[in-house]
Amino acid sequence: MKGGPLPLLLAREWRHHPWRHLVALLAVALGVALAYSVHLINTSALEEFSAAVRNANGEPDLTLRGPREGFDDALFDRVAADAGVATASAVLEIDTYARTADGRRVPLRVIGLDPLQAATLTPALMPQPQDPQGNAMAWLDPGLIFLNATAREQLKPPMGTALQVQSGPDWRSLRVAGSVGATGTALAVMDIAGAQQQFGALGRISRIDLRLRPGVSQQELLARLALPADVQAARADEAQARISNLSRAYRVNLTVLALVALFVGAFLVYSVVALSVAQRTPTLALLGVLGMTAGQRRMAVLVECALLGAAGSVLGLLAGAGMAAAALRFLAGDLGGGYFPGIAPPLQVGLLGTLGFFVLGVMSALVGGWWPARQAQRIAPALALKGLGSPGGRSPPAWPGVVLLLAGAAAAFAPPLWGLPLAAYLSVAALLFGGVALVPATVHALLALAPRVQAALPLLALQRARFQRSTATAAVAGVVASLALSVALTVMVASFRAGVSDWLGSVLPADLYARTTGNSAALDQAWLPADFANRAAKLPGVQAVQAQRSRALQLSRDKPAVTLLARPLDQPASALPLVSAPLPATRLQPGEVAVYVSEAMVSLYGAAAGTRMALPLLPAPAAATPVRVLGVWRDYARQFGTVAMDRADFQRLTGDTRVNDLALWLRPGTDVAAVQQALRSLLPDPTMLDYASSAELRRLSLRIFDRSFAVTYYLQAVAIVIGLIGIAASLSAQVLARRKEFGLLTHLGLTRWQIVAVVAGEGLAWVAAGVVVGLLLGLAVSMVLVYVVNPQSFHWTMDLVLPWGRIALLAAAVLVAGTATAAFSARRATGRSAVLSVKEDW
Amino acid sequence: MGRPLKTRPIRPIIGTMLSIVDLSKRYDQTPVFQHVTLQVAAGEFVALLGESGVGKSTLLNCIAALDVPDSGQVLIAGQPLAGLSDDASARLRREKLGFVFQAFHVLPHLTVAENVSLPLRLLNQYDDARVTALLDDVGLGGLGQRFPAQLSGGQLQRVAIARAVVHAPALILADEPTGNLDPVTAEKVLAVLRKQVRDAGAACLLVTHSAAAAAQADRVLRLTDRGVLPADAS
Repeated sequence: MKGGPLPLLLAREWRHHPWRHLVALLAVALGVALAYSVHLINTSALEEFSAAVRNANGEPDLTLRGPREGFDDALFDRVAADAGVATASAVLEIDTYARTADGRRVPLRVIGLDPLQAATLTPALMPQPQDPQGNAMAWLDPGLIFLNATAREQLKPPMGTALQVQSGPDWRSLRVAGSVGATGTALAVMDIAGAQQQFGALGRISRIDLRLRPGVSQQELLARLALPADVQAARADEAQARISNLSRAYRVNLTVLALVALFVGAFLVYSVVALSVAQRTPTLALLGVLGMTAGQRRMAVLVECALLGAAGSVLGLLAGAGMAAAALRFLAGDLGGGYFPGIAPPLQVGLLGTLGFFVLGVMSALVGGWWPARQAQRIAPALALKGLGSPGGRSPPAWPGVVLLLAGAAAAFAPPLWGLPLAAYLSVAALLFGGVALVPATVHALLALAPRVQAALPLLALQRARFQRSTATAAVAGVVASLALSVALTVMVASFRAGVSDWLGSVLPADLYARTTGNSAALDQAWLPADFANRAAKLPGVQAVQAQRSRALQLSRDKPAVTLLARPLDQPASALPLVSAPLPATRLQPGEVAVYVSEAMVSLYGAAAGTRMALPLLPAPAAATPVRVLGVWRDYARQFGTVAMDRADFQRLTGDTRVNDLALWLRPGTDVAAVQQALRSLLPDPTMLDYASSAELRRLSLRIFDRSFAVTYYLQAVAIVIGLIGIAASLSAQVLARRKEFGLLTHLGLTRWQIVAVVAGEGLAWVAAGVVVGLLLGLAVSMVLVYVVNPQSFHWTMDLVLPWGRIALLAAAVLVAGTATAAFSARRATGRSAVLSVKEDW
Repeated sequence: MGRPLKTRPIRPIIGTMLSIVDLSKRYDQTPVFQHVTLQVAAGEFVALLGESGVGKSTLLNCIAALDVPDSGQVLIAGQPLAGLSDDASARLRREKLGFVFQAFHVLPHLTVAENVSLPLRLLNQYDDARVTALLDDVGLGGLGQRFPAQLSGGQLQRVAIARAVVHAPALILADEPTGNLDPVTAEKVLAVLRKQVRDAGAACLLVTHSAAAAAQADRVLRLTDRGVLPADAS
């Protein structure tokens, strides 16, 4: 094309219609910016979190890790004495709380280690005494603690003063003696013996970090060590992989949601370029007569789209980086998912990712421009020059649309790939594209239902809509896609909200709730003694109290820990939101214990009702406890699995009588605040329990839910506006292309409003077809989201709820807005230029 | 449109379908045409010649109430155009005028029969038999269900002629109707137009550059910067 007319034509076109192309460019930029910023935020947060984990874990050759409650430290002596081990470092990890000067509890991870051994393996955890001239061995003092920068920032303890750190129902006073360099969340380091003593973990450690001698085989070493069943060897990068897995589904879903903007942007490019091609049809036809080939015409449009996409992508990348930097600065790296708490990562920009999103932006513009480019290729120069345009009445075949719909339906039944609903996303995309491809056939089918008319205006509108049904795709593709997405998101959010609302009603039967911690990692440090529940039950106004013990159970080394809930389960069907009737207790074999698992346990561990499992309730060498799943329940609070067991069974098996949560039923008329005050008076420290009434919890939960999904409403609005812009652009294109036709109608005696009515009638016919297709597609996509994407991403199910009122309102709004947009676009048809255009000759 | 003219009212002449009196039009300060006076009787076929840019198309627009003259008066079948609203102008075109254009201007999404029937439908007087008969009359019998893209230029212009006369208008305005046709086809099309005008009892004003086309007319006039003159006037 070098030296050809293309650069000149593009320059003139863009100069004449800068706003139109700017809108398309901004649409691409917006899509790229959203997707790129989400990518950058996630990458930066993950990288920062991984760096913090690397910091705290160091870079040992091998780590021997036990269950969350730790393992016998006698193993350390045996491991350290092995000839293949150069250095061994025992580490105790405690997740608990520290108290600020103003009485707030702040989560704190305490690491107990022997600095002499840890110096080479985990240098970032080496204590740095505030007074370097002081006793070099001061850190051996079991009452001293060293804080990292985040902990110092959050707790603000004056150096040398005592910091209160929670150990069960008590507070331990530890003197702040210096700092450690580890980054990430609030962290404190102390001598391991002191940590064991202060936090009730005498004789227990969490892990052993190893540096092996050169040439030592890990397999041979592990074979020699014959580790206990609950201690497993792990490489350093496995911890990072687990962190990544933890948030992967959330990150992927967020990215897909952001990519929707890019998808919608492609539709806008399509509309704008289709308009541009329609407007330039006479020019392109003339160039065709002068010798420009059909292929060159197509290439000209594609080059234009590529330039548009490239410019939009560059703008989007810059905006995305800016948005990500702002989000990381002001919102930290969490994005509301709760996976990366307490970190404020710096922006990390990778070349490959940047290049990938640039290519994605260009590709979206090319996809959007593909059909208009084909239209430019298909122009019949002779006919176009006569003002007859391209031969009409020829509709694209319906079979690609049918094939895409079938492929989409088939993909919805595919299992997750790498733990992600990738096939389901492909299914949604195939359904959307298939539906859009079937718009002309739907227009044809709908218009075939219309009776033959004699009156001029309906005849003109219907015949035109029927004759040019292939261009209906251009006009209503955006509406179909945006309405489908809106309906799908509306149904999905309504279903999820109804599910959460029902679930809250089921899991919050009591009047008042109190808990020791919201952090599952701190369950073993933030607890209350067993008799606390009995004392609470005797308080005035309290009718009944139910105590619950929660703890984490590591069932698989490459999956996040599951939560074990020990609570009274005399009537499991009423105590838990079961998804189906439970199996009778008579199904238990002697020695087996009944458990009820959340849906995530079924997805992640295959623990369907009737399954037998072994739970590591006690530290090795005790055998795992045989249990049988008698029922499956819905848990929207924990996506990595929950096991509920009767508290009496749990106490009998473990001897653990600690309490983490209380549910209190109050007598009618009891003052809730007074009961809370009375509960506080029973505690050694009133801040050790957080309180909420069931109404407050319900309100708070639904508010968080609505806030989390607010973005979907904005997306719907943006999608519909873009769909309407698509209608405006397409009909404007046709009005421009049909100026002579409207001029003729004026000569034949049609008034201005009759011509507007003809165009609006055509618009109504097409938008009605678009709304029908969009509604059906939206319902199909919503089923994929509800029945496939959610269970495969988060391992929970929900019932499909169809909010017909809102769906009808949405459809009516799109129908009215679409028709009004069509009428608005027709105003140019009645101008003087249209009247005079019948005189134009080519 | 619809602006009242500062001219004195004139008395319509019985049997006159088009009456133009002292009509002038200018764009900004440049006159397009001035002092045009012209009358065309029912059944009369008048050709109007003129050099390019002399204002022939603008004159046709003024006659069709699509443009407003600066002074003078136009009457169609005795009805003055001055002061007509947009809707009234549209009604007048619908009922009393027929148009034939150089570029045919048939609607590509309507069949031939639907194109021809359009003026009847606009008047709520749809008559299938009349459309069929007229198509036979202009030599398009049996082609009613075809689409315009399937017709030749000469056939398309016959469709346009049939559409122009189907509702029996008072006046047919033909703007270079043979400009896109070869001489043989042009002669045939013109013959059809002339016959239809006569049969319909309408007046026809034919604007053309073609001497051959003008030769078919009852009267040949020339539009000049001094107004409308007989073609042979110096």
